[in-house]
Amino acid sequence: MPPQIPHPDPGSPNLGGPLRYLWWLVRCQPWRVLRGSLLGTAWMVGLSVRPYLVSRAVDDGLRAGDMPALTVWVAAIVAAGLGLSWLGILRHRTMTFVREDAKARSAALVLRQVARIGAVLRRRAAAGEVATVGGSDIDWTAQVLTLTGPGVGAVVAYAVVAVVLWSISPLLALCVLVGVPAVGLVVGPLLRRLDGAESVYRQHQGALTARCGDIVAGLRVLAGVGGRDLFARRYAARSQQLRAEGYRVGAVASWIDAATLAIPGLFLAAVVWLGARMTVTGEISVGELVAVYGYVATLIVPVWFLLEGSHQFIRGRVAARRIIDLLTLTPDDVGGPRGGGQRPSRGVPGRASGPGTVPDARRPEPAPARPADLHDPVTGLTVHAGRLTAVAADDPADAVALADRLGRYVVSDVTWGGRPLSGRPLDEVRARILVAEQESYIFAGTLREVLRTRPGTGDERITEALRAASAEDVVDALPAGLDTPVDARARMLSGGQRQRVRLARALLAEPEVLILVDPTSAVDAHTEARIAERLRSARAGRTTLVLATSPLLLGRADTVAHLRAGRIVSTGTHLDLFHRDPDYRALVDRDSADEPAEPYRGHP
Amino acid sequence: MTGLPVADRGTVRRAVGRLLRRDRRTVVLLLVLHAAAAIARLAPPWLLGVIIDRVAAGAGVATVDRLALAIVGAVVAQALLSRYAQYAGHRFGERAVAQLREEFVRSTLRLPVSVVERVGAGDLATRSSVDVSTVGSTVRDVVPTIVICTVQLALLFGAIFLLHPLLGLAALVGLPSIGVVTRWYLRRASPAYLAEGAAAADLTEALTATADGARTVEALRLADDRIAHGTTRIDRLWQARRATLALRTVFFTAVEASYPLPVAAVLLVGGYLLHTGTVALGAVVAATLYLQQAIEPLDRLLQWTEQAQRGFASYARVLGVGLVPPEPPGGAFPPGGGRLVVRGARFSYADGPDVLHGIDLDVAPGERLAVVGPSGAGKSTLARLLAGIDAPRRGSVSVGGCFVTDLDPAERRRRIALVTQEHHVFIGSLRDNLAFAAPDASDERMRAALATVGADWSAALPDGLDTLLGDGARQLGAAEAQQLALARLVLADPHTLILDEATAALDPTTARRTERALAAVLAGRTVIAIAHRLNTAHDADRVAVLEGGRITEIGSHHDLLRAGGAYAALWRSWHAEPRDTASGDTDRPHTVGRTGADR
Repeated sequence: MPPQIPHPDPGSPNLGGPLRYLWWLVRCQPWRVLRGSLLGTAWMVGLSVRPYLVSRAVDDGLRAGDMPALTVWVAAIVAAGLGLSWLGILRHRTMTFVREDAKARSAALVLRQVARIGAVLRRRAAAGEVATVGGSDIDWTAQVLTLTGPGVGAVVAYAVVAVVLWSISPLLALCVLVGVPAVGLVVGPLLRRLDGAESVYRQHQGALTARCGDIVAGLRVLAGVGGRDLFARRYAARSQQLRAEGYRVGAVASWIDAATLAIPGLFLAAVVWLGARMTVTGEISVGELVAVYGYVATLIVPVWFLLEGSHQFIRGRVAARRIIDLLTLTPDDVGGPRGGGQRPSRGVPGRASGPGTVPDARRPEPAPARPADLHDPVTGLTVHAGRLTAVAADDPADAVALADRLGRYVVSDVTWGGRPLSGRPLDEVRARILVAEQESYIFAGTLREVLRTRPGTGDERITEALRAASAEDVVDALPAGLDTPVDARARMLSGGQRQRVRLARALLAEPEVLILVDPTSAVDAHTEARIAERLRSARAGRTTLVLATSPLLLGRADTVAHLRAGRIVSTGTHLDLFHRDPDYRALVDRDSADEPAEPYRGHP
Repeated sequence: MTGLPVADRGTVRRAVGRLLRRDRRTVVLLLVLHAAAAIARLAPPWLLGVIIDRVAAGAGVATVDRLALAIVGAVVAQALLSRYAQYAGHRFGERAVAQLREEFVRSTLRLPVSVVERVGAGDLATRSSVDVSTVGSTVRDVVPTIVICTVQLALLFGAIFLLHPLLGLAALVGLPSIGVVTRWYLRRASPAYLAEGAAAADLTEALTATADGARTVEALRLADDRIAHGTTRIDRLWQARRATLALRTVFFTAVEASYPLPVAAVLLVGGYLLHTGTVALGAVVAATLYLQQAIEPLDRLLQWTEQAQRGFASYARVLGVGLVPPEPPGGAFPPGGGRLVVRGARFSYADGPDVLHGIDLDVAPGERLAVVGPSGAGKSTLARLLAGIDAPRRGSVSVGGCFVTDLDPAERRRRIALVTQEHHVFIGSLRDNLAFAAPDASDERMRAALATVGADWSAALPDGLDTLLGDGARQLGAAEAQQLALARLVLADPHTLILDEATAALDPTTARRTERALAAVLAGRTVIAIAHRLNTAHDADRVAVLEGGRITEIGSHHDLLRAGGAYAALWRSWHAEPRDTASGDTDRPHTVGRTGADR
């Protein structure tokens, strides 16, 4: 009965605590878990059948010299073996399904959360944390569910063996029933200590692996500047350190291993001793002595399962806690309510309201029906609807902050069509205003997939946008054109190529308002000139704001504003400002002010 | 695109042989110790058999006590022997693994740059992380386990043979079916588990990338896309896990069903032998107990064989890196350097069309040359030829009369430094990140170098030069990383510098300031700067315009402006001169006489 994976809807988990979350994972698949418990029990109990059958074969068959009886018991042993292997595999399959269902469900929840939470994630939960959750916490959490199958079985098997042993000899039964768990309790912590010693070693080992990867990643730098020998020596020194650390771990580990071998062995010896003396006095039979020997060996399986399970349970709880932390992360306060909040969580505390939050956060004001002006009171900038506006900022950080306010990535008093931007439905703001930043992420996929962020965008439109971004050569240089797979962050492309791909993608999104942050900083002059020209026609009639200091881009804008020390100090056309604002001139003139200006024809 | 080589089976076997021979005494010692421990492990069931026989023969409590004490002794002996065996094995494993990984790093660092670039970072990165650690855990954990299990199994079955040869034969009954199904399983297991691992990594990658690009997801409203993408990854992982589960279903069922067969056979044969009086009851009981004992090592052996197979495959890939022929050692750098001369250089990548069509270029010592041109003109390729990373297909690149590709690679890298916009911050302190360029540099010099390139942020670091950089520590931004790369350059103080868009990540103002500061520090060095910002060209002694793989213009900034060719048009357009058409009108190649000394 394999589960339906991927789940079309993972459901609403209980995020009240790790245990509640784990229980929710169980409740999502009650019948499968029940089946797992039954099979786990049957299998565990089945393990103790063989020693019983062997003891009967010894007593009734061999000792009695009764060949027919021996044959019967032997046949029973074979049949039991076949049955046990069948039970074992059914148990394993069912429990795998139980765990996989839980893993897929957690993964689906985490996926939905990281996809919908938005910008906050980059600051609050480092990507590394998401990697830990995705890479191991989901697995550890699902592992706890193993307890529902073999875990339940182990308890039942223990009870069954107890009853059987009791029928042989109450004294022996007491010894075994107390002794085996006691052995487990002694050995368990030893193993945990081993785990501790090894985890330090593994950490160092991971660091060394990272060093090796680091060298591989930096090979080209080393090739450019030199230093290979130094790196080889440094790595070798660290490798030797790890080896020495390994020796230390080995010394401890081998003693602990020896103890885990000796302690159960000594216990078994003690039981045999006791049993043998009882055989001498005739209290138990020889076959029963053999059976006791076998039961002690089989009882170790359920006891180990329980010890291992408790260990897994502890780790799984911690892992579930981390999943919950990620799932209960709330989006940034950007003023007003967040539209489309399909948040899977329950009991999330209400968002604190910031200075720009509209009092009635429940009911947002509708967005302006038609393109409207954006106004930023902090700088005094107005972005006119349908025009190409450019802002030249003295401090690049001011430009970024301005874009964040206009795009509503922070709480601000920006107005849109005269009313507060933060009072509008956020979904609509995101749909209509796009801030295309320098570092915007490029997901792995074919170049076509990278560019096409809206369904139904045809190749014609893509070609158009690539032309506007002067990025046709990027496609031409790729072996399979638009179908070439691009890696995450498009590392295979040069900085200039990446920048143009990002620009083309932003153009293809066709937002009503497009805010471009330094869109041509990494491209050559030829290309920059082409982009400046084509951008204008590509965005004709729509609202566009360019934050840049390139005279090529500024020269094409309808209005240019100069942002100096956080305020717009002058507004006009590029030529206009060039003549009357000397600071602007110093900022954008590519002949730096400390050089005599180059007197060439037609200089403004 | 051909990948890195993979060692063939013979090479891997020889390498394994070398590893073992190097530590011959330890290997022998640990085999002897493991065998002794396994023999001690055989004692308890045998002693139980003896007890049963003696009790059946009417022995008293004293005999039982003596034999039970012997069991205790056997257990203690086994524990001690296996402790020392394990410790010896562990030390051997650690030594072997250290050797292996150091060799891998040495081989990696010896790889010619052209090979590194050809094979791409992915293959090498996988070998460095996955393969090296797979081989490591194989040598450290898997091989010892296999050795122990094999020794134990051999002794257990041997012991049954000693009890009675017929019992021994009966004990082998289950092995053929286990052998067949194991062969079947091993042939399929490795690829299936590798696929599962890859699918798991893909899902993690999908989640991490979505988290990394969270703001972009929000801005471009890609949430549904990302969910759909991640959902296919969940699906693929599930499919991969079902495939491995199917393999296990067959394998485990068959193996476990085989376990009772030898027990049954031994009991039946034992019954017959007992009947004929050739063996004692204790011997038959001991034989069944030995078989019971054999299940655990057999299980472990079967589980680890697949791992061992994977370790072998990984070792082949690790060794493969060492099979790449190293760069041949070359001649010494000409004293005093001399002119950098390019004659008729043509170049093509792999079998593609020529990217450079006959480049002629003379750069005098101490000259500053800027190379400009549209993307795809071959600027970076030219930089690589000048740095000696690639050799021209035709023509030559020489410095002071020696071909650059003939120079000793290490020496060449020290004298002709190439800095691209691709930068890398190594894990380690800021000092570590600078020191490899100039091992003897004092802290003062390092700070001065950082100040020169405008890395003001470095002065504000909490631990100064000891601040740890890289993953998990302080992450540098693109601009900071680029400044770090330039600071290295200042420290390395090479004879010739090739800067390929080396300041592209800096904002325009900082970039220009940095370039000027660099120029001041590097006065007297030959500098070839490829740049998209024309300031660089303006500040250089000469400018070469590269278009379509040819140098179409060359001369000083002023000369080229006066000539009114492509460069002049470019310069004007870059200044956004309103009436310019901004198209590079380059129909008339304008060649200016070499003016290397024109300063």
